[in-house]
Amino acid sequence: MSDELERMLRRALRPVDPGEDFTARVMAEVSAEPGNLRARSRRAVWIPLSLAASVILAVAGVYEWQQRQREAGLAARAQVLEALRVTNEKLDLAYRLINTSSRPAPHRAPGA
Amino acid sequence: MAKTVAKLVAALFAAAVASLAAVAALPALAASPALATSPAVAAGPPPGQLVIAGLESLEPQAKDSVSISLDASLLATAARFLDSEQPEDREVKAIITGLQGVYVRSFTFDHAFVFPTGALESMQKQLHTACWQPIVSVHKGEERSRVDIFICQLQQKARGLAIIAVEPRELTIVNIVGAIDLDKLRRLQGHFGIPRLPEEK
Repeated sequence: MSDELERMLRRALRPVDPGEDFTARVMAEVSAEPGNLRARSRRAVWIPLSLAASVILAVAGVYEWQQRQREAGLAARAQVLEALRVTNEKLDLAYRLINTSSRPAPHRAPGA
Repeated sequence: MAKTVAKLVAALFAAAVASLAAVAALPALAASPALATSPAVAAGPPPGQLVIAGLESLEPQAKDSVSISLDASLLATAARFLDSEQPEDREVKAIITGLQGVYVRSFTFDHAFVFPTGALESMQKQLHTACWQPIVSVHKGEERSRVDIFICQLQQKARGLAIIAVEPRELTIVNIVGAIDLDKLRRLQGHFGIPRLPEEK
């Protein structure tokens, strides 16, 4: 069983002559390679740069949005307080007018 | 594979640029006349909301003017910036929670002024609809001051408050839309520059 396997392996792995044009073919492939390599390396630089730019833009966008939300929130808060202040002031005015009209006019000394 | 990655990067880049452009466009959107005008334009104002219009002529004459328009979303934004840990902020938050809008127009003049007839008529017309009831109407001839307070009630629930205060050199219109609790409002007196009412004797 193991002899048979060994024979099969020897047959399959026997040295084969690549032929005379093998070296020429390899050399032709190698000489064609630099262009591809350059294109690949250019792509390899461009992709991470674009990714980095996208991430920076996205982070900047989120930061800007958060800043604007914060400004809008603080402005809205100030407006709420101002609105409540004005409302209370006018309720105060109504209260004062009611009180002064329900009270008898203060007695004034003649000629005062 | 490389093409897919390139497409993905391009899409990401485009999305990032678009989001920046959208953020940049936000103030312009908020300032656009279509959104800055009354929310009543779309589907009519909710009960308790007045359309305050016709006061533009007062603005150039006024020494000072205050114009506040806070709809439900702006009130919610403001509420996020009120610190629940602070007692005063907590009370303001309690007041504005459940409100759908707060609108204030106030003008202070150096001289006597005339309430624009169109604005007055428009407001009177709105305040004569079913939900509005006058709760205070006080007129003091000597002080030439008048304050009218109306409340809008529907199904036993307060839906709005309107205050029209006319003083010799000041006109103020306040419209609070939603369930306003005057007791809570009163509790704010003495805080945030809100005047303190004298105690009832």
